[in-house]
Amino acid sequence: MTPGTVLLEAQHVTQRFRLPNGQNLEALRDVSLAVREQEVVALVGPSGCGKSTLLRLFAGLARPVEGKVLYRGQSLDGVLGAAAMVFQSFALLPWLTVAENVAMGLEARGVYGPARRDAVARAINLVGLDGFEQAYPKELSGGMKQRVGFARALAVAPEILLMDEPFGALDPLTAENLRSQVVDLWRDPATGVNTLVIVTHSVEEAVFLAGRIVVFGSNPGHVREEMTNPLPYPRQERSPEFEEMVDRLHAILTATLLPEPAPAAPQRLVPFPRVHVSEVTGLLDHLLTRPDGKGPVFELAEDLGVDYDRMSAVVRAAEQLGWVTTPGEIVQLTAAGREVMAMDDAARKDVTRARLAKQPLFARLVAMLKEGEGAVEDEEVLADLTIYFPFIPAESLFATLVEWGRYAELVDHDADAGRLMLLGWEGAAEARVE
Amino acid sequence: MKPLRLPSARPGLADVAILCLLGGVIATVVAFAREFEAPFAQAVRIDLRPAALPRYTLYSLSRGVLALVISYLFALGFGWAAAKSRAAERLLLPLLDILQSIPVLGFLPGLVLGLMSLFPTRNVGLELAAILMIFTAQAWNLALSFYNSLKALPPQLRDACKVAGWPPGRTFRQLEVPAAAQGLVWNGMLSMAGGWFFLMVNEAFRLGNRDYRLPGIGSYMSVALDQGNLRAAGLAITAMVVMIVCVDQLLWRPLVVWVEKFRLDESGDGGPAPSSWVLEFLRRARLPRGAAVFQRRAYRRARRAARPLERPFRAVGPIILRGPRFAFEHPVPRMVSVGLAIVAVAAAAALGAWRLWLLLAQLGWAEWAKLVSSAALTFARVMGAVILSTAWALPAGVVIGRSPRIARALQPVIQVVASFPAPMLFPLVILLFERISIGLGLGAVALMVLAGQWYILFNVISAVAAIPQQLKDATAAFRLPRWRRWRALYLPAAAPALVMGWVTAAGGAWNGSIVAEYIEAGGALRTTKGLGSLISEATADANFPLLAGGIALMSLIVVGWNRIVWRSLMEWARTRFGYAQ
Repeated sequence: MTPGTVLLEAQHVTQRFRLPNGQNLEALRDVSLAVREQEVVALVGPSGCGKSTLLRLFAGLARPVEGKVLYRGQSLDGVLGAAAMVFQSFALLPWLTVAENVAMGLEARGVYGPARRDAVARAINLVGLDGFEQAYPKELSGGMKQRVGFARALAVAPEILLMDEPFGALDPLTAENLRSQVVDLWRDPATGVNTLVIVTHSVEEAVFLAGRIVVFGSNPGHVREEMTNPLPYPRQERSPEFEEMVDRLHAILTATLLPEPAPAAPQRLVPFPRVHVSEVTGLLDHLLTRPDGKGPVFELAEDLGVDYDRMSAVVRAAEQLGWVTTPGEIVQLTAAGREVMAMDDAARKDVTRARLAKQPLFARLVAMLKEGEGAVEDEEVLADLTIYFPFIPAESLFATLVEWGRYAELVDHDADAGRLMLLGWEGAAEARVE
Repeated sequence: MKPLRLPSARPGLADVAILCLLGGVIATVVAFAREFEAPFAQAVRIDLRPAALPRYTLYSLSRGVLALVISYLFALGFGWAAAKSRAAERLLLPLLDILQSIPVLGFLPGLVLGLMSLFPTRNVGLELAAILMIFTAQAWNLALSFYNSLKALPPQLRDACKVAGWPPGRTFRQLEVPAAAQGLVWNGMLSMAGGWFFLMVNEAFRLGNRDYRLPGIGSYMSVALDQGNLRAAGLAITAMVVMIVCVDQLLWRPLVVWVEKFRLDESGDGGPAPSSWVLEFLRRARLPRGAAVFQRRAYRRARRAARPLERPFRAVGPIILRGPRFAFEHPVPRMVSVGLAIVAVAAAAALGAWRLWLLLAQLGWAEWAKLVSSAALTFARVMGAVILSTAWALPAGVVIGRSPRIARALQPVIQVVASFPAPMLFPLVILLFERISIGLGLGAVALMVLAGQWYILFNVISAVAAIPQQLKDATAAFRLPRWRRWRALYLPAAAPALVMGWVTAAGGAWNGSIVAEYIEAGGALRTTKGLGSLISEATADANFPLLAGGIALMSLIVVGWNRIVWRSLMEWARTRFGYAQ
């Protein structure tokens, strides 16, 4: 099927939110994207890159702060009637039966009486839920619930189906099964659906479903790259062409997630990735078991059972500590990394402390602590973090700093008094007694 | 067209019960309506014979239920407005805080005088005043509960309704109200109990040199006490207990079971699902199902009859709606209407403040000094009551909450006992105290314990019952001695709930002071110095400046104490002892 006219279009869209703590969060900046008839578009990228926000803009559930969203050249005014949506959390009303949930969108479209009953029956039949019409959602498994979600969307015979990580909350088996059914539904002219936009976390899913894959970068969300996927449907997940496509997308995503360090500007503060100590040691442990102590980041993610943006955060933390390098999408254990894994606990802590003290953010923190005679109020540090990293929740970054600082016996935190203390500092003892 | 027909069914015992109940409800409504529009009687003569008691009980019950209905309507509107508009939220939430702290006597003169001048010849005015006084004790926590439910609604569900194209009215009916149903029912139970608290004051009070009395169980009790008729007083207490048990079993239990359907989180807390024998019994009835079929058919028929009108209406609708749409959506009219609303609210607030100021300005220094010293005394009593309540309710709550078996057995009993309006017992307790020569000055503290203790007990029980089993197992596995177990696990786990309990218990004690420091029993009036007795006296003497001063001072103390002390204590208890990590 060849893409036709432009159906949905975002033109230079910027979206901002005000967080409860007063911070302003820019979810999207100057994003332009067109979705054409007969297309399947996948939006991928790290969490917090605004891909779900863009989907809500397409659905007309929110208005952009700047820029425009157009449907067939017309500016969107309110919810887009030509679209239906499938949610990650299913979003079924627990007090309505399956049939009533499926019928949710029909009355607003002027479908009543026998026509409504028919539409519900057809949609339920399409997703294979016959016999469950009178069940309540809580009686169904996750996969069944999402089928209801799809039936509810299909019942209104939408032109465009918007899906926000529709398989994210399902177990892998169920997800795979539903995924191939989505392709069938899209190819089936009886459903009326001819265009799909899907937000996903899974590379395989994007390659399996989409004809065009849009990769987002974060902080703030923007379009990094687009990739067309000409593989014919139905796609075979084990075929070499499919694997090659997956690798290409991996490469693009790696470039987004693990950018090569910029050569200049050494003074710039880099945030420390918000990962736990045990995750980094776990990664090093796993690399030790591999030949040459290396592996591609996506393979590591799969082997360790974490999603790829979490994995890349762990890799970035290990890289900042000098224990791995990342040539391309390969993660390589360094000599320092091997050494540290061979040490006993106390020596490992000493090395970590020395490494952390050189990390720019920790160096700044230590300087602050020294200036404050060995102790600083939490609020002061939080304010500092908010100024330097307006897009990262300061509390969670702070918690990471405290965890690593405590592990390396570099700093300590008094939760009751709400302040940080520098360990090994002469004034620290008195500051504590105070 | 087939004629409308009920599905053939054999009526069973449950159907008979339903018919009896329906008949009873209709009879009560008719009797109450008659009382409503009867010619005005300022102080109705109360018949102290036992045979008259059921009628009085039903009158009181009708007032409580009507007030609850009004409270629910208010809560839906208020909560919705506060959740939808940020400006409204900023205005309404602090207002709720203040309203919650005003004891019913603060509303009494305004309501009674205002409504009686509206309906000078009929009973309606006085009845409405009594109902609205009950309302002022019921409405606030319902409104807060609805607001909180709306705020906690998962955003995806809202999105799903929007994508489905539901208009706001339908989203309200099918998403927002069902999602809040559980909170509304549980809080309705609390409100009903709270509404009974001032039952005697609501039905029999003195304003200026006049006595007002409405037929009801509260005035029955107060007349019985006036005449020193202890037998009648005992009967009134029994009738009250019977009413509370009936309302609990016939109304609240079935409702609690039914709203389980509207639970949003599917996990459930693992506890046994609540059950209701009444609901089980009624589900066997055929009548409701038949009525539902009948209703559906009638509805369908009405739709079919209305169909010819539908098309013209659909064509005309947009034209009719053009005006309102313009007003709501065009920026200029929108700004004008918002501006007008702000001006109106500001004007009303300014007027209220001015009236209050005029009243307060009449108070001299001596009176203010008296107010403040009385407030200090009552404050000491409130704190004493909170400490005494904690002293018994905390250990008792831990013991009960620790064992699911005891908790399950005692919970319904405690609920009924807690719903009983403590002030009805005050005169009897005071007569008892006089036997052992304890004055009202100290005795009032005991009475205020009666008014506030249950909140502490309830909160501690539910907090201890919610302790994860693994933590209990851990303390057992490491063989912590009993006292260490309490200190390491039970007391910290109960701490946040205990503070919550203190907030409500102190509120209850402040409220209680009004009836605890000023008691008529055995035909004699007993008072002791305090803010509560000052307020009661000011009402009886129709000394409105003093009443306004007393009420303002009391709500100032309650709100201020909540804001400054309880809130920071709560914050501390939550961060220090909360489970959330």
